[in-house]
Parts: sequence; structure tokens; C-alpha cells
Amino acid sequence: MLGGFDIVVIVLVVLIALVLFASVKTVPQGHNYTIERFGRYTKTLSPGLNVIVPFIDRVGAKMNMMETVLDVPSQEVITRDNATVTVNGITFFQVMDAPRAAYEVNFLENAIVNLTMTNIRSVMGSMDLDQLLSMRDEINDKLLKVVDAAAGPWGVKITRIEIKDIDPPRNLIDSMNRQMMAEREKRASILTAQGLREAAILKAEGEKQSLILQAEGRREAAFRDSEAREREAEAEAKATAYVSEAISKGDVQAINYFVAQEYVGALKAFATSPNQKTFLMPMEASAVIGALGGITEIAREAFADKDEHPVRGGRASSTSSSPSSSSGSVPFTGQRPEPSGDIS
Amino acid sequence: MIQAAIESLGGWTWWILGLVLLGVEVLAPGFFFLWFGVAALLIGVSAVTISWPWQMQILGFAVLSVVAALAGRRFFGYRDAPSSDPYLNLRTARLHGRTFTLTEPIAEGSGRIRIDDSVWRVSGPDTPAGARIRIVGADGALLLVEPEAPLSHD
Repeated sequence: MLGGFDIVVIVLVVLIALVLFASVKTVPQGHNYTIERFGRYTKTLSPGLNVIVPFIDRVGAKMNMMETVLDVPSQEVITRDNATVTVNGITFFQVMDAPRAAYEVNFLENAIVNLTMTNIRSVMGSMDLDQLLSMRDEINDKLLKVVDAAAGPWGVKITRIEIKDIDPPRNLIDSMNRQMMAEREKRASILTAQGLREAAILKAEGEKQSLILQAEGRREAAFRDSEAREREAEAEAKATAYVSEAISKGDVQAINYFVAQEYVGALKAFATSPNQKTFLMPMEASAVIGALGGITEIAREAFADKDEHPVRGGRASSTSSSPSSSSGSVPFTGQRPEPSGDIS
Repeated sequence: MIQAAIESLGGWTWWILGLVLLGVEVLAPGFFFLWFGVAALLIGVSAVTISWPWQMQILGFAVLSVVAALAGRRFFGYRDAPSSDPYLNLRTARLHGRTFTLTEPIAEGSGRIRIDDSVWRVSGPDTPAGARIRIVGADGALLLVEPEAPLSHD
């Protein structure tokens, strides 16, 4: 039924369908297609409807131009201080230049992951564990710079590299915890010791202050005491002066009268003191008797010069009423009667 | 078979084919079945009015398919299609014309700047850090910059 022409027409329609299929290329947003003419890269198709020359052009690579995240698998890293930590991360990259990403590198994603892994090892291997844990931003920054520069020729922009987990081995974490606790305990003991020290200092200072104040009080008191004594001595001196003046005007024997009276009074006090059982004469009795002798002297003189010195005599007469029944054989030890009052 | 269908249904065969192809295009977008569908409908219009030999109708269908595809590229092609965001997926094109402060000096034609919390390599005349630079182009992930003309004070 079908002639040769009919078959040709049918085959032609099928061919045209195939040609259309090969030449009309709709590139979706977020992708770029590279076109190869006889296997050689010629141009890049951007998103939208594109028509390529059938038979000689063909689509080489369909590149995803969107930013893509790649997991960087866990790997063990030995730090500078020989701690083994398990590290993983993520890398964000975006193809900027589709043909370069398609033809300059084989297995682009694999290349980026491996580049990142080796650089993680070299960057983190040059740091101490403590730095590793505290300087993530610096690590990310360093990694980004190195990997981005290395991926540049591939028409790829590495936008971000993040270290996700840094896992030191279990026993290392334990010892880190212990170290942290010890640190805190150290601080606590230091603070306690400091508190005790400050308390002791404060206490000592208080004691010092109180001692100083006491000493100042004593000093003040001593000053006052000495002043009082001076004043007393002054008064005594004045009194003595008055007495001596009085004596110089009267008779020197009057002194003896006072002394004897005091003496006898003192003896009396001894005798009547309430706890008196034994009576000790604290000084030689002769002195007392001497004093009595002095009185007799007074009496004698008084009576002898009764007419010349009526005042002295008057005084003497009053003394005569006191115990006068002593013998005059005792030697006189009192002061010599001198009319001139140079006794100071 | 085709001959039998065309002979029994006449020009309506093309209508049926064209509508089915358009339906396939809707279900599986790719701007591929669309052109065949359009061509089939056009042949259908002509076949209903004029009586063509079926071989000619098929040939016409094939040629019209190609013409429709070419015309479609002309009217819906990338360059002419208006986009509300023509710089989508063109990251460096977005940066074009923007000015930044150079964080690392450009020495021997290459340096780095920080843009949107990422570090970009830049290339341009040697410039000390802290200078204002303007992005004038890109080569892959490498940004081409030039010093911004110093602001004229006074």
C-alpha cells in the first residue's frame, strides 16, 4: 500500500522530530548548558529557550549555577599538641563560570570536598586544641581564603566554609572538664585565702589602732600626771616657802613641833591599825625620841626667851600641853635653831 | 495507518493530534511538543478547508514544526524574554558597579575584599587597604575592580 515516497515522507517526519528535539534547548533557571561543536566547547546556553545547530552542536554539560552545599565528611585531625579530634564541616559553593567548572576540573564536587578536607587538616593541624575550640571563626576564615583561591581557576566561588563539629576523644573531654573544675576550685581557694588575709590584716590594723590609742591615752595621762606633780611640787615649794618664811619670822623650832606631831600621829596610826597583831617599829625608836627631844628643846627655848618673843612663846606654850614628860638626855638631832630663814 | 486515519477522519486528524500534543506539552513542559502541536493545528486548519494529499500534509507538518520552533525562539527566546530579575544566578553581575572598602591591600594585582560575610578575590591596580573600590567586572569568581575616584571635598 505504501509507496517508496510515502515511506520517505514518514521517515522524514520522524527525522524532523529528532532534529527539533536535538536543536531546541530550553534551559531552566539556575542552570547553564555548555555547547560543544564537534566535541569542542563553543558557547554556553543561559536560561530560556535556545536553538542550537543540529548535527554539529550538542549539549556538553548541564551545570547547576545555584549555590550548593556540600557536606565535608568527618575526619580525624591531629592538632599541634598531638590531640586527635574528629572534625566535620560544610562548604557552600556556587559555579560562576559554567564552562570552566565543566571542563577545567573533573568531578567538581569531589574536588572541592577533598580540597576542603586537606586544608582543614593543614589549618587545624597547625593549631593547639584550645585554639581549635575557641577560634572557629579564624579557622573558617583561613579555610575560606585558601580553598576559594584554589577553586578560583575552576570558575567556582566558595562562599563559605564552616566547621560543624569538633569532637575531641572522650577521655580528653573528661580531662578538660577536670581541668575546668580544678581551675574553678583554684579560684575559689585563692578567693578564700585572700578573704582570710584581708580579714587578718583588718583585725591586726584594728588592734594596732587600739594599742596606739591606748598608748596615746597613757602618754596623755602621764603628761597630765607629771603636770599635776609639778603643780603639786610647786604648791609644796610655795607652801614650804610660806612655812620657812613664817619660821624665819618666828622660831625654827616650830618645825620640830610639826615633825614630832606627824611622827607621833603615824605611830598612833600603826598602833590602831585594824590588822595589827605584831607591832613593828619601822624605824629606830631613837629618832622618835629625838623628835621628842626636839620638843623639849622648843619648850626650853620658849620658856627661856619668853619675854623676847611673845609670839614664839605663845606657840610653845600650846605645845607644852602635848606629851612633855620625856627626858632631855637624848641628843638633839633636829635642826639647829637659826633665826635667818634660808631654809628653802 | 496514518493514511487510513487521514482518509477516514479527514483534516480533523490533525486537530486531534495537535490538541493531544499540546496536552502532552502541558503535562511535560519542555517547549518541544508545543511546536509539533502548533504545526499540527495549522495543518488541520488547512486540511479542513482545502483537500491536500496526505503526504503533503505530513511534509507540511514537519516543515511547520521547524518554522514554529524557530519563530518560538525568536519570540520567546532568552534575550527578548522580559524577566523581573535578570541577574538571577548571576552573582557577580549583581555586584557590578557597587563600591566597597578594601580590607586587604591589592598587591601585584590581587587582593581580597569582604562582601556579604564572604571573602572575594579581587584584581585591579595596586591599592592600599581602606581605599574605596568599585567593581567593574568579573572573571569567573574573580572580581575586577578599580579605585573609586576620590570624592571631591569643598
